[in-house]
Amino acid sequence: MPTLTLPPVGKTASKATILRWRKLAEQVVRKGEILLEVETDEGLAVIESAMDGIIKEVLAPAGRTISIGAPLAVIEGVANQSATQPIKQKSIPVTKTTISTGKVIPILMPKAGQSVEEGVIVKWHVQPGAMIKKGEIIFEIETDKATIEVEATDSGRLARIVAGEGASSPVLQPVAYLADNEADVDAFIAASSTSPASPAAAPAAPVEAAEKPSVELAPPAAAIGTGRIKASPAARKLAAERGVNLATVARGSGPGGRILSTDIPATGTPKPGLAAAEPVAAGELPAGAIRKRMSGMRKAIARNLTLSKTTIPHWYLRARINAGPMMAFYKSQKAKVGCSVNDIIVMASARAIMDFPAMHSRVDGESVIEFSGANIGIAVGMDDGLVVPVVMNAEQLTLAQLAVETKRLANQARAGRIENMGQGIFTISNLGMYGVDEFVAIINPPEAAILAVGAVREDVIVKDGALKAGQTLHLTLSADHRLIDGTLGAQFMARLKALLENPLQLIA
Amino acid sequence: MSKHYTIAILGAGPGGYIAALKAAQMGARVVLVEKDHLGGTCLNNGCIPSKAILGSAELMHRIQHAAAMGLEVPAGTVANWGKIQARKDKILQTLRAGIKGLLGARKATVLLGCATLAGAGRVVVSGAAGVLEEFTADKIILAVGSVPSRIPGWPTDTRVVCTSDEALHWQTLPRKLLIVGGGVIGCEFACMMQPLGVEVTMVEMLPQILPNLDGQVAQTLRKILVARGIRIFTGVKIESLALGGAGAVAKLGNGESLETDRVLVATGRRPNTADIGLETIGLTTERGFIRVNDRMETVLKDYYCIGDANGRCLLAHAASAHGVVAVENALGQGHEFKAPIPNAVYTFPEVGTVGLTAEEAQAQGFPVAVGNFPLSFLGKALAVNDPEGFVKVVRNRETGRLLGVHMIGHNATECIAAAGALLHQQVSVQDIAETVFAHPTISEGIKEAAEDALAMGLHLPPRKFLQVTAGVE
Repeated sequence: MPTLTLPPVGKTASKATILRWRKLAEQVVRKGEILLEVETDEGLAVIESAMDGIIKEVLAPAGRTISIGAPLAVIEGVANQSATQPIKQKSIPVTKTTISTGKVIPILMPKAGQSVEEGVIVKWHVQPGAMIKKGEIIFEIETDKATIEVEATDSGRLARIVAGEGASSPVLQPVAYLADNEADVDAFIAASSTSPASPAAAPAAPVEAAEKPSVELAPPAAAIGTGRIKASPAARKLAAERGVNLATVARGSGPGGRILSTDIPATGTPKPGLAAAEPVAAGELPAGAIRKRMSGMRKAIARNLTLSKTTIPHWYLRARINAGPMMAFYKSQKAKVGCSVNDIIVMASARAIMDFPAMHSRVDGESVIEFSGANIGIAVGMDDGLVVPVVMNAEQLTLAQLAVETKRLANQARAGRIENMGQGIFTISNLGMYGVDEFVAIINPPEAAILAVGAVREDVIVKDGALKAGQTLHLTLSADHRLIDGTLGAQFMARLKALLENPLQLIA
Repeated sequence: MSKHYTIAILGAGPGGYIAALKAAQMGARVVLVEKDHLGGTCLNNGCIPSKAILGSAELMHRIQHAAAMGLEVPAGTVANWGKIQARKDKILQTLRAGIKGLLGARKATVLLGCATLAGAGRVVVSGAAGVLEEFTADKIILAVGSVPSRIPGWPTDTRVVCTSDEALHWQTLPRKLLIVGGGVIGCEFACMMQPLGVEVTMVEMLPQILPNLDGQVAQTLRKILVARGIRIFTGVKIESLALGGAGAVAKLGNGESLETDRVLVATGRRPNTADIGLETIGLTTERGFIRVNDRMETVLKDYYCIGDANGRCLLAHAASAHGVVAVENALGQGHEFKAPIPNAVYTFPEVGTVGLTAEEAQAQGFPVAVGNFPLSFLGKALAVNDPEGFVKVVRNRETGRLLGVHMIGHNATECIAAAGALLHQQVSVQDIAETVFAHPTISEGIKEAAEDALAMGLHLPPRKFLQVTAGVE
């Protein structure tokens, strides 16, 4: 999802303080509508939205002072082209055919990125026999990078779908055909498959055109009031659970026809694709079992972690931290800078990492690359897997800056944009919020180590021979033994432990 | 053998007598020495006599403007200066007796005479007839106060060239008065004398009157005083002053020559530390002031200095607060003095300020936002026919904390107490905006200005906002 950022306010101000928000989370805003009031050295200003959408999360609450360019809010909606910032592409036009004959127009799997070779159709928005219009969203695809809505570039009757929901298709291959009747489609398919000349017959220009859509900005697919479905978040969630297409709900009972959760019918067709099971091959499965296609993200996870576990000699060490001081520090800092416990662990790790050159290095073939800063990956769990955006030079950030940055990265990641991927030297994976005591993580290649963070628990602490109630936390480091030996790993963990048990050092 | 005390206090002004009461309350054996009247400058030559006369003068001013409130006051209301003086003297006597009673009730020893330090821990008290008494003490608090400055080279005839010490006790009023210095004392005297029929001219060397206060406050007061017929020169020096004519003739830096009956020199006060024997204990001064830390400790162990003599803030309420801190520290229950000290100027309308001005806050590096509310928007101000003035609230933009409140208007010196309490509690301006103030009052203006500082005032037209479009990433 796009993030709205603080634009330059006035002539010289480099930062602004949020005075108050006029819009709240989950409120619909239109481009040009005033979102919030800010103050700078130069005076008062109001910030208006650069696009239509729904405020999903306010990232800069009232009272906070932020720099120009810092995030204000996450907005769900369609970016308007007139905004000055580059806009993440949300939909792309379907690739035009290069072999169009007569009244049959094939619809091709678009090439949604330079390295994309195939796409999986997760949803068809139109059914065979339907009349479709140019610009209408007709299907959604998933690649190993993102989920993309695809628009029609031609109008006509959708005669046949040849790649159904869940089907995978190489890029620039037909997934459906526009034609007035079925016979024309049959004739077209027969002609193209028997004509060895067809690739040669395609002139150079159309091929170029076929590449183009991946970098072109498409017009917004839908906007509030023109095509966007107005529905409450609860309704959206329920619709997804029940497999209801919101477009099929005639009119909501909320203000302006907004669809509310009570408007969602009890049953729908199970949603295909990611959220629900879709048998892709009826093969020899045990009764009741189903086979599902791996998503692009799952495939990437599978590939990376298999590589890691089979090529990196992992070894592990565990430390039990007296978490009392850290939690006290967290409580005091949370009020001030809005940080999480994880931000404190990231900060302490960054400091400890910079004390040991091997800890900010990674193996590259038979050489070792030493990085100048602690680029720390933050594992962000998603519905269907996880991604690891990276905080660059985390050792240089204050706790307040870190809190803003990790939140921003997580929001960006959930919006499909993973920042600084591949530039990390160390990852932190925290499952503490799920109550996990401790766990062992697999190194995120090509990094050299990963820290697994468990839950802060009430525990017995023995001090000077006496038992005392307190709080503890288990940290487990998985390290690449090609780079990090036992002594070094132990020294690093000791340093990290010392920092977390004396957290005031972090802001000293 | 001489007597010995736990704490000895030199000077019974608002610093010293409060320190004595505090020490006695805490069980210390305390002696208080005063060479003149109990109550010091504040009660005898400062705050109280001036307010007593200002009380008469303000009523006169109101009578002169009674028609505006629908009162047909018969012509011929006359200010009887002698009776005004007698009323004032009675107030002073009452309050002196009150202090004496309080000290007696706490069994604090009071010695009347001139105290001189005489080596470590030793004090000699002498009168006209020589040494009266000698004593020693564990801790000595210097509360010796200050005296009005005079200008070197000017005539010394105190019948013509006066300071506030003389002016508050004049037998007669002058016809024309030249006030030298546009600070708090100068402004109060100008305000006091004008309704009593004195033709007042005030000359200030600096570019604004009330030079240490908020510029907008000073500007507003100036306009009001000028409208009443008081002549005010700022940025003008008096080149020379000589006796002559009806009283004296002054040559101003702007070339003008002023003839006047009397001159009031109100250019400041200097510490009264010259003849108290500091050299016998080896304590040095800076321009006469005895430097202290936040615990009121001098550089010399067991010696404390409070009030005007330490030069931190020449106000009675500051001295009293210092006195309590010094005693607590002397008796081992120490804390540091950090509270904000309000300023009160008893002109009519009054001025009350506390904390930093916007300019001071900016100079100290705070990100500043300011709220302003004109009192003419308040029902109470119109009801009492005092629509002039405003409240200004200074806020730290990033933390939201209140940094200062500056107001001029009816009862501002009373209203500022609320602001001082809020400032001392380190509240945010949001907290003030959320506080309910009684209506209709003048103090409501503080809440209104706080709301304006947050750009959320309801009794003001909407603030101007620059309009910009958010970036998108």
